[in-house]
Amino acid sequence: MVRLENLSKRFRGRQALEPLTLEIPRGEIVGLLGHNGAGKSTTFGMILGQVHPSTGEVFVEGASVQRERARALARVGAIFETPSFYTYLSGWTNLRIFAAYSAKVDRAELEAAVRLVGMEKRIHDPVSVYSHGMRQRLALAQALVPAPSFLLLDEPTEGLDPEGIHEMRNLILRLREERGMTVLLASHLLAEVEHLCDRVAVLKMGRLLFSGRWQDTLSPRVYRIVCADMARANEVIARCGLSLVGEGTYAVPSELDPAALLEALVGARAGVTEFAPERPSLEAFYLSVSAAEGAGR
Amino acid sequence: MNAWGRQFGFELLRLFARKRTYIGFGVFLAMEVGVLLLLRVPAVQRSMRRVIEQAGYAFEDYYSGLSLAFLIIVWTLFLLGALYLALVGGDMVSKEVEEGTLRMILCRPISRARIISLKAAATVVYTVVLCVFICLSALGVGMLERGIGGMFVYAPAEQLFAMHSFAVGLERFAIAIPLIAYGLLPVSFLAFFFSCFRMKPAAATVLTLSVMFVDSVFKNIPFFEDVRHFFLTHYMGAWMLVFAPQIPWESILERVLFLAGLMGTLLVGSWLVLERRDFKS
Repeated sequence: MVRLENLSKRFRGRQALEPLTLEIPRGEIVGLLGHNGAGKSTTFGMILGQVHPSTGEVFVEGASVQRERARALARVGAIFETPSFYTYLSGWTNLRIFAAYSAKVDRAELEAAVRLVGMEKRIHDPVSVYSHGMRQRLALAQALVPAPSFLLLDEPTEGLDPEGIHEMRNLILRLREERGMTVLLASHLLAEVEHLCDRVAVLKMGRLLFSGRWQDTLSPRVYRIVCADMARANEVIARCGLSLVGEGTYAVPSELDPAALLEALVGARAGVTEFAPERPSLEAFYLSVSAAEGAGR
Repeated sequence: MNAWGRQFGFELLRLFARKRTYIGFGVFLAMEVGVLLLLRVPAVQRSMRRVIEQAGYAFEDYYSGLSLAFLIIVWTLFLLGALYLALVGGDMVSKEVEEGTLRMILCRPISRARIISLKAAATVVYTVVLCVFICLSALGVGMLERGIGGMFVYAPAEQLFAMHSFAVGLERFAIAIPLIAYGLLPVSFLAFFFSCFRMKPAAATVLTLSVMFVDSVFKNIPFFEDVRHFFLTHYMGAWMLVFAPQIPWESILERVLFLAGLMGTLLVGSWLVLERRDFKS
């Protein structure tokens, strides 16, 4: 769906992004993580053709953004951290203006986008009287016309209240479910990325540190095991070669099937009350990746 | 309507929906009334009378609405016209960059060449509308003050002195309007060109005005009399030649072509500058 090939950028002698190759499969939500100045905005800019890459190219549906911009961006929508509008015009006029740069969009499609973001009542008010949250919604509405297949979201929940964050999150998931939309999301809110994204790419000082399903990298596999009869459970645990990691959490050897372990615990009548893989937070993962890179340098 | 037409319509909507677009119109109207009041001062009128009567004409016949309109335009257009055209032209790209809306547009499958063409066309429309407004309002104000009569044309800088009947004067005035707008387009295009660089809208306006000011001052220094054709303002004054007793079409055409070349160069330059720029928050 989207392919970044050997993409790099140098700004006045400073390497903002080292050669980056990344693939975003259709229908996936991929999180782009990194500290300020890591190269996230530069990457977004190059995907949208706003920043000229020093090397490499971006392909959307097989079309190069750098060489066939009109074809590549025909079904791409984007919103930025601080969306900008013509504040002296209404939200509705702004929508019509931005949509006109993509294609001829009929009224029904615009109205559907307005309904989707819940702005029906205020869409004809001037943008100057909109709150930050309303501007974010309007930004999402403009990104949805004409219907995109790839959505770039740069801090989409920035400045939103908790309800707004919840709504935005649900909306993104709905768009993926209902329209099969591919999403690249940059956010500082790691809990949000963890909740939404299938995969993450971690950038640090312009370098890609990690790309993929971060959950898959957890080794050894850690499980939380709580039983009514812990004495019996410990016998099984010892026999199977599990090692204690923390309170109630154990590392399961890679050759052992967790299902077989559960079966053994049940068979030993240990009274299993909890048996679940322990998922460390994305925050912990991000910090460990970031720190490992820092130590390596 | 095709895509370009639709986008151009929205470009104009944005331009004319902004309050600051109309500042120039209001100020010009006030300025025209101000010049008119100044022309009522007896000392000024005595001076005018002397010039007309020394040429052998009756002051009452030639100090008319058309003559006043000509004087108002000469005195106000290149002073204030350049200011407001530079203000709007300097806003065209840099204001959108500053406010972040250009980045929103550049998310769309639109080329930068298309953006330049849309904004340049909107700049042309604004320039023409402002100039037509200035000319017609000057004529209206002049007519209200002095009514119908012969036209007296006196512009020492262009070595121009002519007397026309009302009919001929009106005809020449009508021919001059498009030339006035055309002559001021380079100011808009120069501001537009500067606005494509990484600078604040005000900086683009100030730079344009600086160029125009220096050009105008140098052109009027007697030592540079023989090289007047080096200065932009010399070419911008083509419209005045329309009021000469015999219209020097060749000379007008030469100036028009020079300005066309200059504007074409500025347009290509604007596109090259915008094309090379990176847009990032």
